[in-house]
Amino acid sequence: MNKNTQIIKSSLLKRKRSEKYFKYFGLTGIIAALLFLTIIITSIFTTGKKAFKQTAIKLEIFFDPKIIDPENKGTEETYKSANYKIVIKNALLNYFPSVNKRIDIRDLTNFISSSEEERLLEMILKDNTLIGTTKELWLTASSTIDVIHKNLEMLNITEKDRLIDNKEKKWFTKLLDDEKLKFQFNKTFFTSADSTEPEQAGIWGSAMGSFFTVLVTLILSFPIAVAAGVFLEELAPKNKFTDFLEVNINNLAAVPSIIFGLLGLAIFLNVMHLPRSAPIVGGLVLALMTLPTIIIATRASLKAVPPSIREAAIGLGATKLQTVTHHVLPLSFPGILTGTIIGMSQALGETAPLLMIGMVAFIVDVPGSFLDASTALPVQIYLWKSTAARGFVELAAAGVLILLTFLILMNSFAVYIRKKYEKKW
Amino acid sequence: MGFWSFSVFILIIAISAYWYGNTKALRLNSNSIEKLPSLPKYYGNYALIWLIFPCLLGVFLWITLNTYILDTILINHLPKELENSFAGGINMLVDRVKTINIDNPFPGTNPELIDAAIFLENKSNEVRAYFLWGIISISVLLCFVSLKKISFKFKARQAVEKSNVTLLILCSIVAIITTVGIVFSLIFEAMRFFDQVSIFDFLFGLSWSPQMAIREDQVASQGSFGAIPLFTGTLLITLIAMLVAIPVGLASAIYLAEYSSSTTRSIIKPLLEILAGVPTVVYGFFAAITVGPFFREFADFFGFNIASESAIAAGGVMGIMIIPFISSLSDDVISAVPQSLRDGSYAMGATHSETIKRVVLPAALPGIVGAILLAVSRAIGETMIVVMAAGIAANLTSNPFEAVTTVTVQIVTLLVGDQEFDSAKTLAAFALGITLFCMTLFLNLYALKIVQRYRERYE
Amino acid sequence: MKKSGNLMSSKIKISSKDVSVFYSQNKALNNITFDIDEKKVTSLIGPSGCGKSTFLRCLNRMNDTIDICKVKGKVLIDNEDIYAPNVDPVLLRARVGMVFQKPNPFPKSIFDNVAYGPSIHGLASSKDELENIVLTSLQRAGLYKEVKNRLSETGTSLSGGQQQRLCIARAIAVSPEIILMDEPCSALDPIATAIVEELIDELVKNYTIVIVTHSMQQAARVSQNTAFFHMGNLIEFGSTQKIFSTPQFKQTQDYITGKIG
Repeated sequence: MNKNTQIIKSSLLKRKRSEKYFKYFGLTGIIAALLFLTIIITSIFTTGKKAFKQTAIKLEIFFDPKIIDPENKGTEETYKSANYKIVIKNALLNYFPSVNKRIDIRDLTNFISSSEEERLLEMILKDNTLIGTTKELWLTASSTIDVIHKNLEMLNITEKDRLIDNKEKKWFTKLLDDEKLKFQFNKTFFTSADSTEPEQAGIWGSAMGSFFTVLVTLILSFPIAVAAGVFLEELAPKNKFTDFLEVNINNLAAVPSIIFGLLGLAIFLNVMHLPRSAPIVGGLVLALMTLPTIIIATRASLKAVPPSIREAAIGLGATKLQTVTHHVLPLSFPGILTGTIIGMSQALGETAPLLMIGMVAFIVDVPGSFLDASTALPVQIYLWKSTAARGFVELAAAGVLILLTFLILMNSFAVYIRKKYEKKW
Repeated sequence: MGFWSFSVFILIIAISAYWYGNTKALRLNSNSIEKLPSLPKYYGNYALIWLIFPCLLGVFLWITLNTYILDTILINHLPKELENSFAGGINMLVDRVKTINIDNPFPGTNPELIDAAIFLENKSNEVRAYFLWGIISISVLLCFVSLKKISFKFKARQAVEKSNVTLLILCSIVAIITTVGIVFSLIFEAMRFFDQVSIFDFLFGLSWSPQMAIREDQVASQGSFGAIPLFTGTLLITLIAMLVAIPVGLASAIYLAEYSSSTTRSIIKPLLEILAGVPTVVYGFFAAITVGPFFREFADFFGFNIASESAIAAGGVMGIMIIPFISSLSDDVISAVPQSLRDGSYAMGATHSETIKRVVLPAALPGIVGAILLAVSRAIGETMIVVMAAGIAANLTSNPFEAVTTVTVQIVTLLVGDQEFDSAKTLAAFALGITLFCMTLFLNLYALKIVQRYRERYE
Repeated sequence: MKKSGNLMSSKIKISSKDVSVFYSQNKALNNITFDIDEKKVTSLIGPSGCGKSTFLRCLNRMNDTIDICKVKGKVLIDNEDIYAPNVDPVLLRARVGMVFQKPNPFPKSIFDNVAYGPSIHGLASSKDELENIVLTSLQRAGLYKEVKNRLSETGTSLSGGQQQRLCIARAIAVSPEIILMDEPCSALDPIATAIVEELIDELVKNYTIVIVTHSMQQAARVSQNTAFFHMGNLIEFGSTQKIFSTPQFKQTQDYITGKIG
């Protein structure tokens, strides 16, 4: 045993220890990253799940002929012009006979969401024999009551910090004790567009906006990107121009998305006068943005096709273009499709450029075409988050959950395709 | 003529053109000993190309020019008095007319406006008809000429392939056009901004308060457009993000590339990539709703006050977003270090961590630096997280617990809402845009070059 | 001078007893048993894939770095089993240096390349001592004259032959007892090969050298003993002279005459 062995042996323990620490350092990095992921998802899930249910109040509604159809005409016009707020008010007063001051009556009526007046009208229009009868109904509560019902601990804070005052608290507790309150599934959230009232606002409008936007993006970017990818990978001669093109595409992939929004604003809106806030402009901007992603994916999967296939086709007398369209492209198609789906899920989650071209507006109608003013899912989340009123934050979180669901579906599909058609040459 | 009937019409012409080209070629082939130089289908395809390309070009022109033409016609049509009586100027008036539903106008709408809307509707139909018929006649003419060309001397396959390749080249050039479009649109609007505000004040001014510029009683005093607070804010947030992302990302990359077994790796890598796939608006939401209040309560606990919008909340969450960029790029780079170098080090008796620290990481350094630079460029250009969590007050501060604002936040703030393309306030967004573009461009070019050179070294 | 080395009684340095190596289920080496003498050059020859490199990597436990690789049997160095549980591969590898097929200098300066071993093991207590070790190692590897003015240049800037000698210098900087060489000249041109071979002749005075080689001429030129491997088996082992002049087995004969290989 020589002298070096002695020296090394003496320091060995320390080195082994630092070896262990370093490994833990790496492991800590992974754990931290995964922890962040878990925290983000749980935090959003716990906030967002509240928005999928809403509070309803059970009331005995008397469809009073004196209010709905005082002159007994029986026409739709009369039904439409009737004031159903009074019907609801009477039902409430019936339940709380002690309320008699005007201001109290108003506060009490505010327990019920204003959308329920519309619902009563629709019930009458469907079946006018209801008039004169009494029916037990679960009416959607207003957002304030909803918030209190979801966070019952809020009842215990002092009156001035509370959303409802003492007399409202008394009414609320009575409803709660009599089991007149329940949670029902928030259907509105999935069927309507934005609204000023949280309990009436929904995601459907922005989802349709996103659908049209991404559809335009797909129609434009997919063919152009595949064509460009094929040219650059298979046909382009090696020269200054194609080098420049390549640098250009790589760089475009890293340009901040908001810059594309500025481009859209300056060119598509100000020069070309395309309609503001429309999915077609959003789609155009996002198409330019996703082009590099799909081009790069196309080139990668073309590159993965072994040259022997090309040589075989060319050996049979096929032209370069025939070789590519008949053999190489079909073989690389799964890869291109995967890249495209990933590009589309990027487009679906992109927000900043859409803000620039005005897809950030209060839009209560569900868009029906590429040209209608609309928002998009991520923009709707941003809008709801920025709304000060209570109840919108939950909507935003629920919107995030919907957006993430779509993204997970799209990405799983991409993974599925990749796994299914993965080829080892 | 509607768009759908137009499409069907073109489709019918297309099928018959192809069929005619094909059969004519077949007939020529069968009627003589001499054969056509290309397969008959190429003659059909040739005619088809001469139909489809002009069509697409025409439709593109129509979409581009339609609004412009209609707006001009409408402006010329509208009586001057109406224009003067309408608050908000001629552009607002045009927009107003467009939103009128002529079948069921909102009660109380100015009848003159309804008339204008009806006029617009008629004109719009007229213009569309002109365009679509024009497109059809030109396409059919060209298609007809191309069918005439079928002869024994004409090599259709070469012609078809040539035009296909041209199409592919045109598609590739879209990337260049986009870049040129970005540069020109930004420069053009930024120049108009610099007509009003000197470039020196913009780049070196210490105070940013653009909202003063549109107040009517302050026409003379322009508001101040010193972008330094925005730059420092951007840098501060980027710095915080990097302080989170570099250690975590690098540690993850090292563990993945050097320690983990291939099964763990195949589970953890996709999980980390989820972080990259989460939309930025979700991070912004998380930063604003969870992280911001958390830091505020944290500070409350220690007895000092901070706003819930703070550089640290935005920067920290941005760091989380950046982690997968650094980890996956660095993982690739570390894995690319040749095994022979590791073997060399092990053979000397180095432990695993000594090998990583003293051989692998130094060898991978250029690649890692490239990855970090790309991540920095990403952080500088990131918008939604800062818009939702960093605030809009332009504070010149280095305190991470204060609200700061960034270049991207200001672009959004300036452009969301009413825009007037004459005011310095709106144009300032483009000046900020070109600054942002240049910063990220140089970072990207430099980083890509480093990474490229690194790859060449070990491949 | 080549085979005149010291023909006197030689001490056994390494002793391999029933060594078998498995890659997952595949057996790469089959019960190898033979002894390697101290301060002699032992060459391992055989056709590609015969397991000679695998055996070499068993001697400093480099196979540990491959997960699927399992070693059975005993390798004794100075009568100690290096696969015993209490043996640390770090310590072992400091005693058994290795030079690889392709020169693999670290992307550091020439000086740092040689200083790497002493510094990770803490062999030099001062900067001067470290410098001393580096310079001596470079001198012993016969590289000092060529690089003395460019010690801070990166190791990859040297020519192939110089890089390989740098790797040898790097290996001897921790004063190992044994140096393993895995086809050290296969990536070098003839002139560089000749220089390295001369160096081996010089080094064998102080170190035990085991060299894997593809070239029978090289084995004949540099080694005193030769082991012939075929299909994971040790076919024949003996003095180089004997193996090349009067091989006992047909496979050895066939390989040496070029019938298999």
